[in-house]
Amino acid sequence: MAALLETRELTKRFGGLVATGGVDLSIEPGEIRGLIGPNGAGKTTLVNLIAGLYPPDAGDIRLDGQSLVGLRPHAIARRGLVRSFQVGRLFGNMSVRENLLLPYLAQSGGSDAGAAQVRAARFLDLTRLGALADAPAKTLSGGQRALLQVVAGFMAPGLKCYVLDEPFAGINPTIKDAIIDLIEQENQASRITFIIVSHEMAIVRRLCRRVTVMVEGRIAAEGTLDEVAARGDVLAAYLGRGWT
Amino acid sequence: MTSMLRIATATLALLAAATVAHAADPVVIGLEIPLSPPGDPTAGQLIRRGGELAIEYINGPMGGVLGDRKAALAVQDSQGRTESGIAAYRRLVSEDHAVAVTGFFHSSVNLAANEVAKELGVPTMATQASASDITGKHYDVAFRTHVIDPVRVSAWLDFIKAKNFKRVAILAETTDYGIGLAEETEKQSKQQKLAVEFMTVTFDHGSTDLTPLLLQVKAFRPDLLVNIGVGQPMDLMVEQAATLGITPQTPMLVSYDAPIRPQFWQLHPKTGAGLYFIAYYSPKQKLSDAGEWFAKAYEEKYKESPVYSSLNGFGDVLIIAQAVNQAKSTDPKAVIKALETGTFKSWTSSPVTFPRADGVFFHNWSPPVLILQYTAANQDWKEASVIVEHAGSAP
Amino acid sequence: MFTTELFVQTLIAGVVIGVLYALMALGITFIYSIVKMINWSMGEFYMIGGYLQYLLIVEWLGTDLWWVAAPLSAFGVFLLGYLLEPLLIKPMFTTAVERKDDYAIVVTIALLLMLRNLAAALGGPYQRTPGSNLPTVMLGPLPESGARLAAFLCALAAIALFYLLLKKTWLGLALRAAAQSRIGAQTAGVDVFRLDQVAFGIGVGLAGLAGALLAPVFMVFPTSGVVTTVKGFEIIVIGGLGSIPGALVAGVLLGVVESLGASFISAPYQNVYGFLLVVLVLLVRPTGLFGERTRQA
Repeated sequence: MAALLETRELTKRFGGLVATGGVDLSIEPGEIRGLIGPNGAGKTTLVNLIAGLYPPDAGDIRLDGQSLVGLRPHAIARRGLVRSFQVGRLFGNMSVRENLLLPYLAQSGGSDAGAAQVRAARFLDLTRLGALADAPAKTLSGGQRALLQVVAGFMAPGLKCYVLDEPFAGINPTIKDAIIDLIEQENQASRITFIIVSHEMAIVRRLCRRVTVMVEGRIAAEGTLDEVAARGDVLAAYLGRGWT
Repeated sequence: MTSMLRIATATLALLAAATVAHAADPVVIGLEIPLSPPGDPTAGQLIRRGGELAIEYINGPMGGVLGDRKAALAVQDSQGRTESGIAAYRRLVSEDHAVAVTGFFHSSVNLAANEVAKELGVPTMATQASASDITGKHYDVAFRTHVIDPVRVSAWLDFIKAKNFKRVAILAETTDYGIGLAEETEKQSKQQKLAVEFMTVTFDHGSTDLTPLLLQVKAFRPDLLVNIGVGQPMDLMVEQAATLGITPQTPMLVSYDAPIRPQFWQLHPKTGAGLYFIAYYSPKQKLSDAGEWFAKAYEEKYKESPVYSSLNGFGDVLIIAQAVNQAKSTDPKAVIKALETGTFKSWTSSPVTFPRADGVFFHNWSPPVLILQYTAANQDWKEASVIVEHAGSAP
Repeated sequence: MFTTELFVQTLIAGVVIGVLYALMALGITFIYSIVKMINWSMGEFYMIGGYLQYLLIVEWLGTDLWWVAAPLSAFGVFLLGYLLEPLLIKPMFTTAVERKDDYAIVVTIALLLMLRNLAAALGGPYQRTPGSNLPTVMLGPLPESGARLAAFLCALAAIALFYLLLKKTWLGLALRAAAQSRIGAQTAGVDVFRLDQVAFGIGVGLAGLAGALLAPVFMVFPTSGVVTTVKGFEIIVIGGLGSIPGALVAGVLLGVVESLGASFISAPYQNVYGFLLVVLVLLVRPTGLFGERTRQA
């Protein structure tokens, strides 16, 4: 089966530091891939490269066979690749509903407002944020904001691949469950592909059939969580740097 | 020995060539005028026209300067600001080697330039700048061929007396020009013990809205409103006073001759009729032969009748050329001496002198001051009624 | 002299001029909220709006169709801004410009000088006016020039339309999002570079509209933008950078303070009262009355 998202020899340097060095990644359509590794391994850099926040120094990124290198983040989003941020980028002064409508309208070029509203209503329902639909997003609790941020990504029409950067960090179990349910649902119903960066091994085990381990900017191992956990070098890398 | 001789001959030849070249250099007369805002560029352009025609006259009918040398004009923009004015004066003296600098329109610029002139020694001549201190400070370098505050104020006090106005509102901009005139008005009215109540209000030259002051003035119920603004504030006041219903029931006097300019009726098509204003030239006046030459040349070139700013610009450049001739030198000290002791021809029929007189009349020659009135909309200024005619120079 | 009638008249005059100032300030604050830079040449776009209005009326439409000419002039200025932005402002974001704020200052001041001198060169330094046939109107006890009142009403309408644009349209949604988080908006699929162009165009278009409406009131000449720029910035400081209600409230406040101060305290210091208000706000509430510290995306 042809990969949905591929990177080849992907390299990024910041000054003298090699944040990612020659990363070859291949994600199948419909996969939920975990991306794990100690702090400073380059996971967020990889996500930023894929999402087009900055250009790579070398290598290629392909979505559905087409190169994403050189495209701006908004163009990448319109191709169907969406990402969420570790520190939530919500629009605090806009209502919850508006936060949901924006990604849809932005990518549909402003047309189809009706479809956008329907889709937003569906997700408001699923997440039980309906009662807060018209409240400014900044009035939501921390957990609700994390949920909203994740859900906003689902609003993109033509969503193919969703990259989530630490979506579970510091939020309560109920919200965590809600996010997990959402991911599983959309994965099954619409065959959305996911890449999830996380330190929460229990969740990674539950959601991700395969994980990719990054250490010091390189892919150290790939396989099921049990396979990679058994590898001595991976353990050493983690222990050397300490768990979070 | 022969090589020494060759070097000597070569050096002498070079020196001779240099002297010949120098002798052919034109005598430069500097013109410092406002050509861009916040200065009044219309005034500057008009003065410039006069200066340029003066050069033609000097090099043509007058036969040149100091024998066979030509006169040339060097022009710099003062922008109506003191810093630019100082820089402009310096440039005219050090780069253009002007023998004198004239053209001054804004009083603040002239005053600033005079301080520098005191050091550098090249004389200045005010063409249309009227603040007292320009000549009142008795600087050897400072001269003027324009109406000074006392004469202008004397003219409008005559007007006030003649019309029997009892309550007069003065709105003056806070520049040397505005404040000077406001203070002089107070002074002279006290001296003459006039039975007139004055209300004096000052405003910033850059004000965008004179409504608050005009409302206060309206509440004072004046018989006359004296508009001592220059450029935009003057126009603003004409319009806003009309909007608030002060004019035309209460007459307004504009303190300088802007209403004679062609744009005036474009800016004030509905509010210009009935306006009184100061002017310094009326076509009914007799001109000198140079003045006649000028009027004809101006009409041919610009298809308009000449106005005071151009006439005086012409006159000033002409006077300087004559002074250089009388001094038989371009040395600034000699030119100053010639200006003080000589008699000169300008555009009017009366001769011009710059005596070391008392007070503000020092080094000053004043043309007559007129107060005109537009009696109909879109009226040609030459048809405007002459209400007051007040003699010029020292009383 | 103080009477109730005088007070009311002065107050009304202050409100009228204040709303007009606010239209200027709106453009500045709006551009800042999206493009994150201060456009120092705002006054020059105001000036161009005035010239366009003058030309449209004198050459083609005539004085009475001023209300047709004004939106056209505003659109013309919008177009100018829209076309200039990719040349002058966009490099700030796309190339590796160090010290973006310094770059923005230099570029917009250069633009200021260029536009001002261009206007003087093309049109001459003279003052012009498209004229107005609107009659004087009584606003309560205050006689107000028809043109000034018309400008006031149109400014209010423009501000209302602008508000609707921001709140009700999809473009407005995108603009608000970009103002709050540039990266967030990009990631959501908004082409922020195209948006910058539009935002810059709208911002200068507002200034151009102010210039067109005020052409018969304050006249048109190459430096007519200078005073309006100063007022615009005073309002931004008082109201808070990036706040639209702030621009309106601060504009009216400034107009009223200047008006009352000039009338009842001392006229020549009219502009000083505004600056005193600015200093007061800076001391008491440095981010402005409505300002809040937005996080840099």
